[in-house]
Formats: sequence, C-alpha cells, structure tokens
Amino acid sequence: MSGPLLEVEGLKVEFDTWDGRVRVLDGVSLSVSPGETLGIVGESGCGKSMTALAVMGLVPKPAGHVTGGAIRYRGEDLVKASDGRMRDLRGNRIAMIFQEPMTSLNPVFTVGDQIAETARLHLGLSPAEARKRAVEMLRAVHIPEAERRVAEYPHQFSGGMRQRVMIAMALACEPEVLIADEPTTALDVTVQAQIFDLLEELRAAEGTAIVLITHDMGATAEMADRVVVMYAGRKVEEGPVDAILGNPAHPYTQGLLACRPNLQLGHAAARPQLHEIPGVVPPLHLLGRGCAFADRCPRAMPRCGEAFPPAYDVGESHAAACWLLEEARAA
Amino acid sequence: MVEETGDGRPETKARGLWREAWSVFRRNRAALVGLALLAIIALVVVLGPMAYPVDPFDIVGAPKARPGAEAEAPLGTDYLGRDVLAGLIKGGRPTLLVGFCAALITALIGITIGALGGFYGRWVDGVLGRVTEFFQVLPALLFAMVLITLFAPSLLTVTLAIGIVAWTSMARLTRAEYLRIRELEYVRAARSIGASNARIIWRIILPNAMPPIMVSATLATGSAILFEAGLSFLGLSDPNIMSWGLMIGSNRNYLREAWWAVTFPGLAIFVTVLAISLVGDGLNDAFNPKLRTR
Amino acid sequence: MSDALLDVSDLRVHFPLRRATPFAPKRTVKAVDGVSFALAKGRTFGIVGESGSGKTTTALAVMRLTEITSGAVRLGDESLSALEGEALRRARRRVQMIFQDPYSSLNPRMRAGAIVAEPMELMQVGTETECRERAQELFAQVGLRSDQLQLFPHQFSGGQRQRIGIARALATKPELVVCDEPVSALDVAIQAQILNLLVKLQEEYGLAYLFISHDLGVVQYLCDEVAVMYLGRMVEQAPREALFGNPLHPYTWALLSAVPRVGRRRRDGAARLRLEGDPPSPISPPPGCRFSSRCPYAEARCKAEEPVLREVRPGHRVACHLVREDGTAPLRPATL
Repeated sequence: MSGPLLEVEGLKVEFDTWDGRVRVLDGVSLSVSPGETLGIVGESGCGKSMTALAVMGLVPKPAGHVTGGAIRYRGEDLVKASDGRMRDLRGNRIAMIFQEPMTSLNPVFTVGDQIAETARLHLGLSPAEARKRAVEMLRAVHIPEAERRVAEYPHQFSGGMRQRVMIAMALACEPEVLIADEPTTALDVTVQAQIFDLLEELRAAEGTAIVLITHDMGATAEMADRVVVMYAGRKVEEGPVDAILGNPAHPYTQGLLACRPNLQLGHAAARPQLHEIPGVVPPLHLLGRGCAFADRCPRAMPRCGEAFPPAYDVGESHAAACWLLEEARAA
Repeated sequence: MVEETGDGRPETKARGLWREAWSVFRRNRAALVGLALLAIIALVVVLGPMAYPVDPFDIVGAPKARPGAEAEAPLGTDYLGRDVLAGLIKGGRPTLLVGFCAALITALIGITIGALGGFYGRWVDGVLGRVTEFFQVLPALLFAMVLITLFAPSLLTVTLAIGIVAWTSMARLTRAEYLRIRELEYVRAARSIGASNARIIWRIILPNAMPPIMVSATLATGSAILFEAGLSFLGLSDPNIMSWGLMIGSNRNYLREAWWAVTFPGLAIFVTVLAISLVGDGLNDAFNPKLRTR
Repeated sequence: MSDALLDVSDLRVHFPLRRATPFAPKRTVKAVDGVSFALAKGRTFGIVGESGSGKTTTALAVMRLTEITSGAVRLGDESLSALEGEALRRARRRVQMIFQDPYSSLNPRMRAGAIVAEPMELMQVGTETECRERAQELFAQVGLRSDQLQLFPHQFSGGQRQRIGIARALATKPELVVCDEPVSALDVAIQAQILNLLVKLQEEYGLAYLFISHDLGVVQYLCDEVAVMYLGRMVEQAPREALFGNPLHPYTWALLSAVPRVGRRRRDGAARLRLEGDPPSPISPPPGCRFSSRCPYAEARCKAEEPVLREVRPGHRVACHLVREDGTAPLRPATL
C-alpha cells in the first residue's frame, strides 16, 4: 500500500455558541489510504460528522472555525486551501454522501440533471456527454432502466434508490476519497445491505478510499479495515478492525461493543442483562480538563478527571487514550 | 440495579418555552427598539391626555397654522384651526384600540376555523376551507366599506369590519399548524390515554401552535391599524372620535397648504406599525427553534 | 390460546386512497391484511418487518388509534375492537403505548411531572395528591430524580425523555404495553439502558409487551415470540429459539442475512442472501405470494397462488409453498 491519501492531523474545530466557545473537535488525527475503508464510530455528538464536514471544507460558517491542525490531501493542506481550490476538490476528488437521502437531493431537478451538473462542473463535459455520464453512473449503482430513470425527479425514487442516486452523484467524477456519513441510517435493513455491497464493490473495483461514519459496530465490523473510535470530540482509540473488535483497549469501546444486543443465529441465551454505559455524552461546553468519558467510565480513577490521557500503543498500529493503559504498563 | 441517568446539565430549573423565547428576544436589538417604541407610544397614548389636556376638537387658533407659529399649537393647526398635537395624543387611543381589537377578532375567528378544519380534516376541512376561500377572494377594502356604510361608521363597526375581512390568513396558518401537530406522537399519546377531542384541540395542540399565531396576531395588529387609516382616509371612520386616521382623512384635501396636519398623524401610524413589525419579527426569531443555537 | 391476554384475529386495516377524479376506480392501501396472533400475560410478542410491512399499523390498530377495517382485537374478556366512546376511553387504561420518537412523543408545553400525571387525571384515578405521589414513584422507577418533575421535555436527553414516556405508559397500571420501536431513535449506549429498564419493569409488573421493531438484534434479545411481516401479512411466526435457530421463510433469511454482524467480513464475499430492489407498493401487491417478486427461490406456483400461514411445527407457522410439511426448508442457505 502506498502512503495515505488523506491525512488529518491534530484537527481542532471550535464553535461559537451562547454558552461560549465550544471545542467540537480536539486534536483529531486519522488517515486513509487508497482502497482502504476507515470506520469512524461513536455516539451522536462525538464529532464524527464534524470531522467529515471539516475535511470537505464545510464547517458551518460563521459559527464554526477550524482553529488548528491540518487536513492533507496528497500532501496539500486543505485547511489553508482557498475557497476556489476547495470547490475544485469537493465533489471531484473528495466526495461525500449524507444520511438523509430525502433532503439531500434537490426536488425541482431531475436526478440526471443533478448528476450531470457535477460532471460538467468538474470534468468540463458537454451537456450531451454529461448526460451520458449520468446514465452510466446510474447503471453503475445498479438502478434498473437507467436510461428512463435519468429523466425522473427525486420524489419518484424510493429511499434506497435515492441513496443510490446520491452515491452516483458522489461518484460522477471518480473521487479518490468517499466519505459516507451514516449512509444507511434512514434505510431498511435489506436495502442497507445493498448499499454496503455497492460501497464494497466500488472500493474493490476503483480503489476508492472510503471513510464510513457510523454508530453501528456491526456495520463497521463488516466494512472497515481500520477503526477510529471517537468520544466528545476526541479520538479515544484507533486500530485494525479485528483488534478493535476482538481486543478493545478503551473502556468506551468495550462499552460500545457490549451494550448492543447482537443478532445471533441459532441458540441465544434468554435476556442476559445488557451492559450499560450509564449517563449520556456530556455537553461539550461542560468538558473539563480530564478525560471526557470519566463520568461514565466504570473504571475511572482520580487522575482521569485531571488530565486527558495520551495515546498508548497496545498492539500493532493499535492505540488508545486511557490512563488505565499506563497503569497496566507500570504494573 | 443502580441507574445513573445524570444528564450532565447542572440546571434543574424549569425553563419554559416563553422564558427561552424571551432570552432570545432580548438579544435582538431591532426587536428591543420596537418594544421600546411601543412602550413610549403606549405611555403617550395612556398618560398623554392627562399631561396635555387640550381637546382635539377645540379650535385653538387660526386654521392651517404652521408648527411653531402659534404658541397654543406646537405642531400647528389643521384646516379648522384644531391642535394637531392634541389630535396626535388623543387620537392614538382609538387607533390602537381598533388595531388591537380587530387583531383579536381576526385571531378568534381565524384560530377557531383553522383549528377545526385542521384537526378534523375531511368534510369539515372542506367546508371551512371553502368559507375561508370565499372571504379571501372578497375585495377586502370594498367589502369593509360596504359593511361600514350599511351600519354607520363607528369604532365598533370599523373594528368588526376589519376583523371580518382579515382573518383568512390566520385561519390558513392555524390550519397548517394543526395539520402538522396532530400527526405528532404526543397527540397520539394523548388519545391513547383517553383525552377527548376538545381537550386535544384546545389544551394540547393550541398551546403548541401558539408561537406562529402570536407572531401573526402581532403583525395583524399593524395591518389593522393601516387598514383603519385607509378607511379613515376614505372618510369611513367615526367622525365624533378623534383618531390618527380621521386626522389624515379630514385634512387630506389641504395637504398642499397644511402638510403637517396629515404628515404628523401619518408619521405616528408609520412609527407604530414599524414598532409592531419589529416586535413581530423578534417574536418570530425567538420562537423559531432553528435559530435557537446560532 | 385460552389464557391469552391479547387476542388479535384476522385483523385488517385498509386505507382508502384519494381518487384523482370521482370516476377513477377506488383504490385502497391494504396496510394490514389478515393478521392473527395471541399474547399471554407477562410475555413479549415481537413484530419485525421493513417499512411498509404494516407492523406499526398493527400496533396502532391494537391501540385503537387507527380505524380497524375488519377483524377482532380482544383484551382479556373485553372486545377492544367493538368498543366506542366512553367505554373505549375507559378501556384504554388497560393498554398503553411507548412511542418511537422521544422528541415528538412528549408535549413540549407540559412539565414532565404533568405528562406522567395526565393519564391518571384523565382516567380519574385517585386524588390530585395521589396522582402527584404516584408520578414521583413512577419517576423513581424509571430512573429519574423527583427534582426533575418540574422540568420541560426539552431539558432532558433523548434517553431520559424515553423514560418519561415509559413512566406515562405505566401510570394507569396497564396490562399490555405496545412498544413501537422504543429504542431505534436512541444512541446505542442509551438503547441498552432502556432495554434493561423494559425487562426490569416487565418482571416487576407482569406486563405483556407487543414489541414492534425493525432491529432483529433487539427483537431476539427481548421477545418470547416473533412474527415477521411483509406487505401487510405475516410470513412467519415462531417462538424466538425457532425463528432465529430454524428460520423457514426466505424473507426471514434475507432479513437475518442482511443484518451487519460482528465476525463476518463483507469483502470475504460471505454467502449472503441478497434481495434486489425495494419492497413493492402495498397498493398493488404482486399476485400470489407477496414476496415472490423479490424472492430468489420463487417458482411459477408462488406467483400464481398465495400461500397460507400454516403451522409446520408446534408454534411455528410459515406462509411459503417451499416449506415441506415436515417443517424443513430444503433451500435454506448453509450460512444461516
């Protein structure tokens, strides 16, 4: 594998709110290489969507600011890139698909027009070529009768089909990085499986780097090569998918894995008590200096409230930010 | 089982929608200016007649005296020699009263019709919808004029006439809110615990539909004042009660010789309506949850 | 079943569609089309299915929150589907509902305590002070503090709001609680809290749950008996062990195989049952078996003749032509 295609380093994003300035992302680092799928996992409010928006240069203005760190695409720092340069890259080299396929498409244009627009904008295709491209893309995402459906409007498509259209739009310029933010949350489980198959097919055929943002450990397990676990704006654990699932080091990751009643084929014990992560993600403006998870952590120690722990290596390219790991090392 | 459900929020003080709305409203400078203007206008209208007890129907000097020309009439006199300042101070009361009461009538009719149509749907909505449309396509000014000429121009008829021609937009707004809210799960929940239709319509949906209705009612007050001024301009206001509209209406033929007798009441109406609109906009922002967190 | 608390038989809910012109043919959506099941006291019956399967409509019909076209819903010795007016209002205390969306299911203009006390006031259970005391008690039971009674819904987190909704549902001491996707709008970590709470309350009060969900993991965790719905019909119904251990209907296989699971890699091309396309519209379901248009195993017979729901093993019922009389499904993929 060559070097990373997209590299986020120490990213900090702050928001102005009525409760004052709030740090939404605090030193988030991650990277993704061609042909690789990176999963970002966490509860809502952990900053996973904001990370995606920051990479796309879409941090909501004027309240949000990128206040530190770098986002490097092929070595070029996107934090410093001009708006024009970002427009060139966005939808062209780096594309994103969103959670809500219902509201992400413009209802007054045909889906063909919307796909063609991206292609014309970035690839400079003629209208006729762009239209051909739109049909090709619809076919690529397995929409039946693409020639006919290209002239239809979003409301004529079902939820799953709309998400395919979104993916077709995102892929129209053959992006190198595809960010999928909870792409199947609004979809039925059989349709979700189709969308995941489609993403996997893309990765395998085109070598697209995929960043899959999800709260579903099962989806992560099936799709991702590496996983980043986020909590309250920070990365708390990162590692290869097998290590994260099989040997999670951070209590939050352990909690996330244990609290889900996972589907088991065949015999399953009757109603074991589910592991709970007590409480909720704290509001970001109330975060102290220490580990944000300490309040909910079953193994919290006094020092957890005092300072945020650094990341400790716990295995091959597997690291977690937790004081317990230092204790374990000392012992 | 020990259940930790701490919400991480330090406050356990109840903050209702109105308190939250006020905290947003407070930060809106334009709305605060509007509120201050309204307060000043209210003060002048309520206490002014005591501080400046000149009868606006009394002839205090030469007709069409310029502002400042006569000591008795600092803002000049009208075509009959009546004090313009006295008219401004005394005339505010009926003007505001008509505006406020007309808006109230608008709200009563509009909310009732909109609520019933939106809640029951089907044929009820069909019938009420047609009624609303009927009133909507009536030329409002002409219809109001007909009503007033039929029943003689008095404050009451003017108020009623404005109320009757102006409620349609309120009804449509209320209906839309009811259509939206009646599908929400808390309405379903209310039904499942045995709440009656009347309770659901008035006690459960209405308070939730109130914010946009409040905004609309505020703005309706402004337009009722304008409407009243328009009727007065056409000579259709109570000639025995001094109002800003009557001042404009009776002096309109002398606009060229005595501009002040028309301009000052006109300004008074303009400032009042502007203040109301500013407050209305402020309320709109304050109630709109999308703007809650910047 | 004679000891059934809830007995639903041949339930149908059809919605008329608005016609474009008065002369256009009448069209109806058969949201629920002939559903029968029974639920004993203290047990949990789960209904799974995708959007448009009719599972939520079934729940609303049991609650009498939507009009029943035909069929009967009995609660103990009372025929819920036959009651009207005041009698229905009074019967409502016996069956309550927990809603999906913790944000829209609580009236934003009422304080939490009033929300929980409201059902008791409407049902005229006890005096005002008794209502208040009971609200406090319920609050403690669902894991909320009594100083939070005065707060408004928006001051609570999603999980806490769902706890308020649960307290409200328990206020009239119901025998049956209908849970419509009670955890699907919550964060994963919060789901476990609510599921544990539901289990605890069931044990304490001997509640029966009718549990509607699209989440097979949650259903397997919570339900004693499970029905799978597709386009308004039940295609399979079985005790939990049988449904997850020996699923018989191809649609059940597809659902089970679609759920992302830890311990399976998509890229290994694990043999999964893939369904093409989306469910057809319930306005014009395909002839014969409703699943035949998407079923990878469908034969000519499936498209012509609608299979009936038949009992192939004790308690295990399935509507599929391909299941043998001895209760085996020869075509089931080995991975399931």
